[in-house]
Amino acid sequence: MTIPRSPRRLRAGRAATATAGLLATLMVAAGCSAGGTQSQAGGEPQEGGDLVFLIDSLGPTWVPNNSSISSFQGHIWGHLTDKLVYVDENGTVSPWVAESWDQNEDATQFTLKLKDGVTFSDGSPVDAAAVVANLDIWARGDVERGINPIGLFPKTYVSAEALDDLTVQVDFVAPTLGFIPTLGYHGSILISPETLAAPAEEQADLANDIGSGPFVVESWTEGDEVVLKKRDDYDWAPEALDHDGPAYLDTLTYKVVAEPSVRTAAVQSGQAQVAYNPSPQELEFYGEQGFTVAAPRYLGFVNGYAINTQVAPFDDVRVRQALQVGIDRDEILSTVYTDDWLPAASFIQSNVPGATDHSDALVHDPEAAAALLDEAGWVEGSDGVRTKDGQRLSFTLHPNPYLATSQAVDELVAQQLAELGFDVDIQAYDVITFGERVSFANPSIPTYEVTRSFIDAGTVAGVLTDAENGENWFNVGQSDPTLTELAQDVATATTTEERDPVLDELQGYVLDRAYFVPLTQIAQRLYLQSPDVQGVTYNGVAYANYYTAWLAE
Amino acid sequence: MSSTTNRSAARRAYGRYAVRRLAQAVAVVLLAYVFTFLVISVLPGDPVSNVLRDPQNNFSEQEIARIVAYYGLDQPIWVQLVEALSRFVVGDLGVSLRSNLPVSGLLADVLPSTLRLAGAALAVALVLAFAIAFGVRNLPAPLARPLRAFPSLFLSVPNFLIGLVLIQWFSFQLGLFLVIDAESLLATFFAAVALGIPVSAQIAEVLIANLDHEARQEYAAVARSRGLGRARLFTAHLLKPSSLPVVTVVALTVGELLGGSLITETIFGRNGVGNLVQRSVATQDLPVLQAVVALAAVVFVVVNLVADLVYPLLDPRVRLDASPARTKEVSA
Amino acid sequence: MTLTSISTGGEAAPPPAPATAAGGGPQRRGTRLGPSRARGILARLRPSVLLSFAVVAVVLAWSVAPTLFTSYDPAVGVTADFFQPPSAAHWFGTDHLGRDVYARVVHGTASSVTSALVAVAIGLLVGGFVGLVAGFVGGLVDVVLARFVDVLLAIPSFLLAVVVVSALGFETINAAIATGVSAVAVFARVMRAEVLRTRSSVFVEAAAVLGANRWQVLTRHVLPNASRSVLQLAVLQFGLSILVIAGLAFLGYGDPPPASDWGLLISVGKDYPLAPWLVYAPAIVTVATVLSVNRISRWLRTTD
Repeated sequence: MTIPRSPRRLRAGRAATATAGLLATLMVAAGCSAGGTQSQAGGEPQEGGDLVFLIDSLGPTWVPNNSSISSFQGHIWGHLTDKLVYVDENGTVSPWVAESWDQNEDATQFTLKLKDGVTFSDGSPVDAAAVVANLDIWARGDVERGINPIGLFPKTYVSAEALDDLTVQVDFVAPTLGFIPTLGYHGSILISPETLAAPAEEQADLANDIGSGPFVVESWTEGDEVVLKKRDDYDWAPEALDHDGPAYLDTLTYKVVAEPSVRTAAVQSGQAQVAYNPSPQELEFYGEQGFTVAAPRYLGFVNGYAINTQVAPFDDVRVRQALQVGIDRDEILSTVYTDDWLPAASFIQSNVPGATDHSDALVHDPEAAAALLDEAGWVEGSDGVRTKDGQRLSFTLHPNPYLATSQAVDELVAQQLAELGFDVDIQAYDVITFGERVSFANPSIPTYEVTRSFIDAGTVAGVLTDAENGENWFNVGQSDPTLTELAQDVATATTTEERDPVLDELQGYVLDRAYFVPLTQIAQRLYLQSPDVQGVTYNGVAYANYYTAWLAE
Repeated sequence: MSSTTNRSAARRAYGRYAVRRLAQAVAVVLLAYVFTFLVISVLPGDPVSNVLRDPQNNFSEQEIARIVAYYGLDQPIWVQLVEALSRFVVGDLGVSLRSNLPVSGLLADVLPSTLRLAGAALAVALVLAFAIAFGVRNLPAPLARPLRAFPSLFLSVPNFLIGLVLIQWFSFQLGLFLVIDAESLLATFFAAVALGIPVSAQIAEVLIANLDHEARQEYAAVARSRGLGRARLFTAHLLKPSSLPVVTVVALTVGELLGGSLITETIFGRNGVGNLVQRSVATQDLPVLQAVVALAAVVFVVVNLVADLVYPLLDPRVRLDASPARTKEVSA
Repeated sequence: MTLTSISTGGEAAPPPAPATAAGGGPQRRGTRLGPSRARGILARLRPSVLLSFAVVAVVLAWSVAPTLFTSYDPAVGVTADFFQPPSAAHWFGTDHLGRDVYARVVHGTASSVTSALVAVAIGLLVGGFVGLVAGFVGGLVDVVLARFVDVLLAIPSFLLAVVVVSALGFETINAAIATGVSAVAVFARVMRAEVLRTRSSVFVEAAAVLGANRWQVLTRHVLPNASRSVLQLAVLQFGLSILVIAGLAFLGYGDPPPASDWGLLISVGKDYPLAPWLVYAPAIVTVATVLSVNRISRWLRTTD
């Protein structure tokens, strides 16, 4: 590994930083509110250079299907592999390895046309046969060989077939409007069929995992670092990225530094170029110092509570509605977050196609909340906590361990609700215990804090009720006919034109019944970058793409 | 003692004793392996389903159950234990549930880094301990007395705090080393300082106590009365007998170094055994944890065995003092 | 029988670990002085011992009646006042939600002290019992227990604590239990050694000859005599436990906020390098407490 700079050069770099400071801050402000893509105002792209990206962890296994693509490893896979389609931060789907696609009328059969001349880094072609092999393993896995399926791949998948070298036909048992967008999701990475046929133990060695992306593995150490180098013959980037041919950067190193403060301080002192997941409160400071801060939003649900409607006190719709208007979302934004975060306007992020603005339903109104609680029969006691029939108005929040700011947000919510007469307890668990004890529709879990990305709004239909193995987030089962019907209509829609009005109605209904209490739009992936780093792009799941990036002098 | 028969009898007895010690050592390592297995198995859940339950993964419980069965994690605990143990005794450490990579390879990757760190930390600890002990005996009282408090202070500071402060000053402020190049000489040195400071305290305490003790002995008084200077008395007479017990203390602090490396490696971003433990604990990667605990037990047992066998050879007085118990045991 | 049991203890790891940590066997030899000399040492060291007792007294007062020492609520802050450096209004500054750090340290004392006490209690009770049985019953029981203790001793105590806490779940009480488990071996060793020493002493043998039964020997002679070294070890372990629990919290194995355990305060504070007082304030309190406790333990040793 090449070690970037000597301390002397570092100081020179800092002087330059100071002059560029103001400009960079302006750029950040402009870039982030636009949704994450940074301004390319850094002059002409420079060839060459080595970028060091400090990351919290490198995840568990590198067996492609089994890896935690949703968190850290997605960064590496995104540079090693390509996908069939590209989804940008606004949810717009555009061609990548699939040049074009068609669907039949009821959205049960799709035909993909592949780009010619795309090759894996071992020289084998990315042809129809390879795509079929990938689709099969995404949908079914190979449990006998220790290969998992990809959890979010449509369960309606029947089969895929190569019609010719560059044409693939895919069949589903039911309308699957989400299929094409899912191909742009972080799990749908194209891997060479030879790798896919290897046993799990071999796939677990990242060096054996062959993709067709703009970078290849130069070296890696388990749990420590991955060094990628650019592939010189790469020439099939998505058009949406505005860049052809090989990457500008020579190498891209992902290095594990577990301590968040050490990551940011290392970038501040010029030892690395990018720190992942800095703490949000520090962003303003670093922004003022001229560092680039990026908080791109992913497509998905907003950060908020899915309420268990069968658990007291939330079995009364008025208490849920009191919660809905009793939370001061602006205070959360101004205390825990910075201006890079946006208020929630629905229970899905506003960049998701089909999301509509319902912020009227989410305005902070403590008087209305108090009135709702009075009406529901909850009377304030001497200690400030409301009671009804001897029961205290109390419940427990479980901060989501997958979101670093979740605890601070919950502490603040508890503080706000205390003023309304709620007694809110906070019980935080680590990732393992959280997985064991906290789940949707669990009688001892009144609220589940949601952080989940998706690529197509159709996903929403699968979580609302328990129909069709639904996740039953609000524990209403199918007892609410309006909700059941709306969910059904979203699931079976065959065009987005048909689906959008239903989605709008659904969002209004869920918020009005206070099944879901949004907090803020979520920016789960945060990046602190040296001002030298230019031209970074962010996709629909908020991963930074350094294929288009370069290092300015 | 000097007769040949006596000596060969003693040698035979010593042989029997050594064999028994060795058998005990092996038993301790095996039991440590079993112990780890039982402790981890107390908690329901396993690394495989924990990863699958990540809400982003969207798996159904049936799918999770099928995958868990592939790893044999649905078997009763004792079946899993017998399987793991029968692999372990032939030297197969199994495959990591978290990374799907062989445990032996994972350990081989991280061991050199930890050995370098622990070795350097031990060196730092010894130098520091001897320096403090020297200062305590040779500096004028106003300086020496506060110096006596150092070991106690070192033992009262959380070692992560030392690490954080060192990184803040020497890497971020002074730029002496890069945190992203954790294996560089200076980075290793500062990590070793963080790890070595609490260990030095234990060594220094024993050393100072022994020096105080030796200084009160008759021979020291005689030497002093012959006009020997303080420093000369220290180096020529007191140091050697006082440092011998350090051998035993050092052997006991080996465990401390391995345990402390968990925190130090995390702070300094070193990819060592401690870091591997951290990753494995977070995901309950049983095969890796068992292997690390067994390895730590092996190191501890071997080092102490060596220290125990070497010690009497270094200090003839100890052989006289300590041998009655041993002789009793051997002859019993 | 007796001979075997002595030897199994003697050969596993030469001098008992706690004695070494506490200053070593040889030192004990060295400090066993004439009464007048001991009194002289006491007189010379009094100020630091007094100061140590004062610190411990303050800590205990904080844990019993935190509200007497601060008027701020540790859990509710003024969000507009976040990240204020130490000042007259906020002695230790404020944190990311505008909460008073001094109030959080004071209110966190009870939890820190309790966790350390739980850890010491587990080590003392389990380890003490194991050591007592091993030393008093002897024979096969001693051999088996000695192996068990050897296993615990062979696993680095912090590694052991991490493994145990990962099995129990990451909460402060579990971190305390894990710390206690990792101290079992040390207590067992000291207790066993003390029991053997007392048991073979002249007056106990005399009592046995005079017809005292085993229970009387145990309660009247063995336990009182063994308790002094064990007590001194317990005090030392109390300080050590605070550090170990803080270390576990640092690695993320404690209760997450809003609990305000000292170790957790440091651990959460380290994520905000721009507000260093979040680390230094609880760290200084921790160091002062542990230092005082260690000082007291040492003083106890010199007065025996």
